[in-house]
Amino acid sequence: MRLGHVIGRVTLSKQDPAYKGGRFLLVQPFAQAQFAGAPMTPLAPGSSLVVYDNLGAGPGHVIGFTEGAEAAMPFHQPTPVDAFNAALVDQLFYNPPSR
Amino acid sequence: MILARVDGVIVSTVCHPSMVGCRTVICQPVDEAGRAEGAPILALDPLSAGQHQQVLISTDGSKTREHVGDPMSPLRNIILAIVDEPAKETA
Repeated sequence: MRLGHVIGRVTLSKQDPAYKGGRFLLVQPFAQAQFAGAPMTPLAPGSSLVVYDNLGAGPGHVIGFTEGAEAAMPFHQPTPVDAFNAALVDQLFYNPPSR
Repeated sequence: MILARVDGVIVSTVCHPSMVGCRTVICQPVDEAGRAEGAPILALDPLSAGQHQQVLISTDGSKTREHVGDPMSPLRNIILAIVDEPAKETA
């Protein structure tokens, strides 16, 4: 699971029925600096990705998303999903050892 | 399996039902000498690892689904072990 900033929405006119009840979000994964509290840079190096969401996240939120085969586990039928939003993050405590 | 150091914790109210009640920590993958390697990841922490403790993380979802008792859980990373003698950072 990784953390990311929601930076946008993906709107579809036609979609696989398996996606019903959710939406797709454009997410910029956290780099090391964002964990330490640096503001999000919308077009940071590293690719943003599209995440399936059924929790109700929107632009500006911080989410925890999973990738790989597990992203498709919550669906009842085999569904092509690469990333799944598992948590809306309320608070983040990050204290790397100082040296 | 990933060797990592626990660097923080997240709080989430709205989450997948399988995550409810599970402590989720921010883990920094480290190399054999204890140096940070790559961006931090999240993992379930059933062992209640302490801050800056080194842990072993499994990235295989089957153990995680067994732990949370939900065969449809999307979660992958789970802490399986706490390292007794962490690798020392050299230089």
